Amino acid sequence: MSLKPGRELRSFPSVPDTVADVDSFLDQRLRDAGFPDELMADVAVSVSEVVNNAVIHGNGANPEKHVDVEVEIAPDRISIAIQDEGAGFDPDTLPDPVAQENLLREVGRGLFIVRAYMDEVHFQMVDGRGLRITLVKIVSDGQPG
Amino acid sequence: MKLSYEERDGVVILKPKGKILGGPDATLLKDQLQSFIDQGKTRVVIDLAAVDYMNSTGLGILISTLTTLRKANGELKLANVTEKIQSLLTITKLVTVFDDYETVEEAVSAFPQ
Repeated sequence: MSLKPGRELRSFPSVPDTVADVDSFLDQRLRDAGFPDELMADVAVSVSEVVNNAVIHGNGANPEKHVDVEVEIAPDRISIAIQDEGAGFDPDTLPDPVAQENLLREVGRGLFIVRAYMDEVHFQMVDGRGLRITLVKIVSDGQPG
Repeated sequence: MKLSYEERDGVVILKPKGKILGGPDATLLKDQLQSFIDQGKTRVVIDLAAVDYMNSTGLGILISTLTTLRKANGELKLANVTEKIQSLLTITKLVTVFDDYETVEEAVSAFPQ
């Protein structure tokens, strides 16, 4: 199978409804491109984790600050970049959410789930702008099918 | 996400429908569960049959509900856990934390009479 290539950037305010709005935007965009149903949940959950973090932690739920979501679709993969206006964080210093002593913590699993569901996760601090996290899901070898 | 519930044999059965990804949906679910606890209804089953998928916010609500109910001498049980959510519970090692049952009837029956 092969996806229909394309690219789209949208900006969302840092408000509670944004996670659902991003989900709708992404769902429509990926379906239009022929993205397989069986991989949709992995992507939707992963994007929701990063968007929630961007709204709440990155932008401090300040509606004046925005979360930019850029979807890039290639024949064999999708790439979704989520950028906030925050100071960023070191992903390697987060507590291990599957350690026995952390199992009953209510928070702290988001990035762990993202890493389990996506094929690639990239972190980049953009000068003067914020943290950009790019998620990649590979769907096939790119051969028409 | 849509939310409905019923009571059977002194057990509250909560039926979320759709996606649990955070935002107002998660707040609705959390508030509804807290409302049961405030009313002294501490035997709760969450029927996950109609939940397409959930993220860590949903898992956080399940954990918060479980720990709050246990402090009030109650219990949370899960029913109809879909393959996708089962996989999420396995990845996060939360399968060891929750009691899950194939049907709502089995989950309700598992509470002491």
